[in-house]
Amino acid sequence: MGVQTTRTMSSTHPSFEAYEPSSQDPFDRVKAAHLLNRAGFGGTEAEVQKVIGLGPKGAVDWLLDFSNASADEQNSADVPDLSPIKGPAGNFRELRKQLQTQTPEQRKQLMKQFQMANREAFMATFAWWMKRMAGGSHPLQEKLTLFWHGHFTTSFREERAALLIWEQNELLRKMAGGNFRKMLHAVSRDPAMLDYLNNNQNRKGHPNENFAREVMELFTLGIGNYSENDIKEGARAFTGWMHDGDQFVFNRRQHDEGMKRFLGKSGNFNGDDVLNIILEKPDCAKFISSELFAWFVRPDPEPAQVDAMAKQLRDGDYELRPVIKTLLTSKAFYSAESIGVQIKSPVQLVAGTIHLLGIEMPPPQAIFNGLQLMGQVPLMPPNVKGWPGGHNWINASTLFARYNSGVRLAQSKLDIAGLSEVNAAPAAVDALVDRLIQRPVEDKKRKELIEGYESKTKTDQSIRAVVQLIVSMPEYQLC
Amino acid sequence: MHSNMTTRRLFLQKGMTLVAASATVPTFLDQTVLAVANPQDVHNTQQPTGKDGKILVVVQMSGGNDGLSMLVPFADDTYHRLRPVIGHDASTVHKLNDYVGLHPSLGPVADMIQAGKAAVIQGVGYPNPNRSHFRSMDIWQSASREDQIESTGWLGRFFDNACPGCDPQVGISIGQTLPLAMQGEKVMPLAFERPEAFRYNGPDHDRYEKLNKLRSTGASSNSHKVSPSGELDFLHRTAMDAQLSSEKILDIVRKYQSASQYPAGEFGQGLRTIAAMIRGGLPTRVYYVSLTGFDTHAGQRQRHDNLMKQFAQGMSAFWKDMENQKNDERVLMMTFSEFGRRVAQNASGGTDHGTAAPMFVFGSRVKSGVVGKHPSLTDLDQGDLRFTTDFRSVYATVLQTWLDAPVKPILGGDFKTLPIVRA
Repeated sequence: MGVQTTRTMSSTHPSFEAYEPSSQDPFDRVKAAHLLNRAGFGGTEAEVQKVIGLGPKGAVDWLLDFSNASADEQNSADVPDLSPIKGPAGNFRELRKQLQTQTPEQRKQLMKQFQMANREAFMATFAWWMKRMAGGSHPLQEKLTLFWHGHFTTSFREERAALLIWEQNELLRKMAGGNFRKMLHAVSRDPAMLDYLNNNQNRKGHPNENFAREVMELFTLGIGNYSENDIKEGARAFTGWMHDGDQFVFNRRQHDEGMKRFLGKSGNFNGDDVLNIILEKPDCAKFISSELFAWFVRPDPEPAQVDAMAKQLRDGDYELRPVIKTLLTSKAFYSAESIGVQIKSPVQLVAGTIHLLGIEMPPPQAIFNGLQLMGQVPLMPPNVKGWPGGHNWINASTLFARYNSGVRLAQSKLDIAGLSEVNAAPAAVDALVDRLIQRPVEDKKRKELIEGYESKTKTDQSIRAVVQLIVSMPEYQLC
Repeated sequence: MHSNMTTRRLFLQKGMTLVAASATVPTFLDQTVLAVANPQDVHNTQQPTGKDGKILVVVQMSGGNDGLSMLVPFADDTYHRLRPVIGHDASTVHKLNDYVGLHPSLGPVADMIQAGKAAVIQGVGYPNPNRSHFRSMDIWQSASREDQIESTGWLGRFFDNACPGCDPQVGISIGQTLPLAMQGEKVMPLAFERPEAFRYNGPDHDRYEKLNKLRSTGASSNSHKVSPSGELDFLHRTAMDAQLSSEKILDIVRKYQSASQYPAGEFGQGLRTIAAMIRGGLPTRVYYVSLTGFDTHAGQRQRHDNLMKQFAQGMSAFWKDMENQKNDERVLMMTFSEFGRRVAQNASGGTDHGTAAPMFVFGSRVKSGVVGKHPSLTDLDQGDLRFTTDFRSVYATVLQTWLDAPVKPILGGDFKTLPIVRA
């Protein structure tokens, strides 16, 4: 035990030591807001104060305190609302039950009927998830679900069954903070994924290599860490992994029982064997670590930082929570180079604005249209690579779309508690900057905002004017 | 407009950090730029764009255009046998040779071919064709191999290659979002559905502009230092680009008057906007516009006829405009679709997703005629045509002979060029 500890210590990276607040470097509102932005979709004044009170470690424990369960499992009422849809079932669970109790022919008929309602069901699922992200009680679970959705992509552009899209989203939520090994095995059996990457067409003697390729290139190892031959042999191992409706089936007759040579090993491998061989590769833990670092901290981890994270991930047999906890409590996370440098994804921007302004959810179609203009509709990534992110979010058109969407959201009834009592323009502007940008702004910009506040006579008009200016600032695009 | 393109470009290339000026000066950009620039700088930053540059207009036919109804193999018995309901009579098509003719509504296209200003390339496609709209569209737009996922487009790579520090106005797409084809790594072209929608909609326009123009200095009276990150500079730069482009484009389009009658709808009005921008002297080298609705699985005849009519009207209005503007020598127009359709009609009077299809090229400097080999209607691959010309050959031709760009770094290989552009 003692030896183990020593070895672990020696391979950690100094930047992953826990950040300890001090009088020179206090855990203040900028840091608390930073945590709530990166581990969720932004924090209101009350949440920022709560996190400051909990301290950096307590706050991460609180954020990580969600169960490894889907929304449906946590609360059976928490499902997309399909009740307005004219169709065979009131919600996905009822539909799933019907699908299970019927013959294949009846199921086919039912699915056909459902196709008409499918698009609406997709919109309901989209709206349901946006609401969870904008105001749910487990922001980190949703933030991780969004991360895994960009990683294990499936797009409604090609996977046209809203039911399967919802079930995959729930699977990602259930496993979001659990164990990557288990998640990889589960996602590889997920009907939406099998369908999206054509594994239903992967048959003995006629392999379809799509899934085998992407599972290594995008889900585990990264390009360059396997050969074309590994793809061919891996595809043979996944032959017969299919789905019937929303159920995984192993079709033994379509499975290739021959010997395969995969990543340097030989045997009569099946899909699970192939996944376990991949998971043994150090490159796999590094690939996932690098992505998690970029998602939560900043896009350019040093190799030594990736190695340290990867080691913790492998030592813990791919348990995710300990690694996420290390990351979110680390000096690296709270260093000046990490704060306010991430370009908000459109989903982060919209969900965060709704959350921070305390406004009601706008109609789903309005949110959908806005996000489409900004370049990110959740559940509809452009391709299997997901969204490239970073600077790719920003061009002249998307920037206008972001500003205009913020301005529109700020036309709703704002819930900014306590602000109407602040009468002096500078104090009110400082409070709004604190709550929305959550970092100080330059003096000359502050001056413009104060003038904007003073250009209106009524307090609520002044507040709205400043909010609309703030959401149209470059600073607000960053977190 | 206070700025001109050269100074603005220079300003952007120098980066925001070189200049400091009061935002209250109305001619903010010009003055600050002139203050730091010397004539040599201005000379060195001239881009290969501008009023005299050559222009490419790409017309995307979305949904899978039925090539066999656009360029009809009227003399082939198989065509009439496999398409008893939706086929076109030999007597109604505009014959181009003794085998193919144009859709009955494409009289203006036939006239342009006659006048030596249009060409059609037959049987364009790629190996192992994908029949998914999205995937096949991505293949066409990225010009990737059919089994590779690319996140940049062929035109995006052209911009990156030709002018990495280029103005975003170098490429303009009419449509909600930037198509993958225009997506690059260094240059961010513009996209908007209507010029009126390409603008900031908030109430306090003056203050919004100042907040977006003010340069980050790091100065703050608060205890925390403001760290002016590269991202913040990048956002300021893009915001300023957006604002200047928006003002300029709106101004140009509002003032534009044209004798041409463009058809209603996004395609026709998009072409009109493009004509206005060409007339307005933007430095744009590539415009992109779409005609949608080609996914004709059922009741194809009427729907496709309407689309052909719309295409012919828009196209001929645009070319009349170009000739009136005397810009016709500068413009090349190219059409494509993600795939053609199945040779045999289906049971619903429509056609299902297919493969190869013709591409059209228009312009006063086009070498006219019917190019390439028409695919056989009997030697099929799962009911679909076998392509005879790789679409990347057409791209290579446009890049090399029209846009004067090197082919290999953009398309990742060499492709045979076609004799469709006059020197």
